[in-house]
Amino acid sequence: MFDVKTKVLVVDDMLTMRKIVTKILKDLGFTDISEAQDGQEAWEKTQAGNFGLIISDWNMPNSTGLDFLKRVRADSKLSKTPFLLVTAEAEGHQVAEAIKSGVDQYVVKPFSKDSLQSKLESAYKKCSARLGT
Amino acid sequence: MSKTAFIVEKNEGYTVVRLEGELDFTHCKIFEEAIDGISNNANAHVLINCESVGTIPKDWLRGILRINLNLKKDGKVLKLFHVNPALMNYFKKEGIDTTFKIAKDLRDALTDLGLAPKRTLDTEFINPFLTATIHVLKVQAETDAKPGPISVKKASDQHSGDVSGIIGIISETFNGSVVISFPEATFLKVISKMLGEEYTKIDKDIIDGAGELTNMIFGQAKIVLNEKGYGIKTAIPSVVSGKNHIMSAMTKGPKVVVPFESSAGNFFVEICLSN
Repeated sequence: MFDVKTKVLVVDDMLTMRKIVTKILKDLGFTDISEAQDGQEAWEKTQAGNFGLIISDWNMPNSTGLDFLKRVRADSKLSKTPFLLVTAEAEGHQVAEAIKSGVDQYVVKPFSKDSLQSKLESAYKKCSARLGT
Repeated sequence: MSKTAFIVEKNEGYTVVRLEGELDFTHCKIFEEAIDGISNNANAHVLINCESVGTIPKDWLRGILRINLNLKKDGKVLKLFHVNPALMNYFKKEGIDTTFKIAKDLRDALTDLGLAPKRTLDTEFINPFLTATIHVLKVQAETDAKPGPISVKKASDQHSGDVSGIIGIISETFNGSVVISFPEATFLKVISKMLGEEYTKIDKDIIDGAGELTNMIFGQAKIVLNEKGYGIKTAIPSVVSGKNHIMSAMTKGPKVVVPFESSAGNFFVEICLSN
């Protein structure tokens, strides 16, 4: 599982959803959590910060979570950052597109603390295998 | 090879081909083979979505013309839709603006062909929203909810709430909306459960929770309905608040109202659909 000291960025245009994800992360022991309202603000924060985990909503105005994921994966400094996409819409073609774009896990809303924890564990294993750690 | 230049979506009686990316020679051959394969194996009209292209290279045009002729021989139709002004000017310049049948959008193309699916506000359409409402409140807010009897909303009926989430249901062939509307007390209990702390008044910190719940309900229902071919597109919810406000659907079609009882209090869901 991710070290609870990992710096996490939570991205969602809905304040309520940012609060839900942040609360679950805090319950799981994470302490260094930042928030952004859309893909553009998230991109600016990733340029300034050294995030070890990104949890982003997909469907946001301005810059979507998928756009943000693609920018992260295309950036040499950020490309290996573990990235989870959260969405209420998990149709097959969307899942396929997210996987193709390099997402590490896909969280479908609504979700419980247990299901987010399970997705984090799964993403950690996938990232560890990818990074050879 | 560059990015795929077309996406094929097979449907009952018709196939939609979306042109996008680089229309190069290699993809042209693949495109022609793919469409020939569809034409030979299914009794389907071919509808080409040109939304993403401003021009079509000559080898692609030749391919589309050949496919058009072959389909005609078999009594089938090829139509282009979402032809933007730049592409239409290009067709005119090439003298082929009357060669193809052109429709404004997929809905028009399907209507012309007598294939536009008529969607009705029936249990097949309504039930996924009710199931999703129960599921979303249970998982995200630990709230048990039970729907009451579904009633058709008359013009004189007015259902008021204090906080409402609304989202448009948009597809190529029909439109609609779904509203979830809470009295203040119910909303505060639901949000308090969702966020794990008690809230006693509605403020900017929690109000978008109504939109998020609507978004989740819409998303869950969309998965089920799109598996049945409804083709509902992604949308972003809005929130309306104000004591005893009355929501009015954005579309003019029939509406149903479903009252819910829950462990957090009563609320209602309104669904509207217009072909």
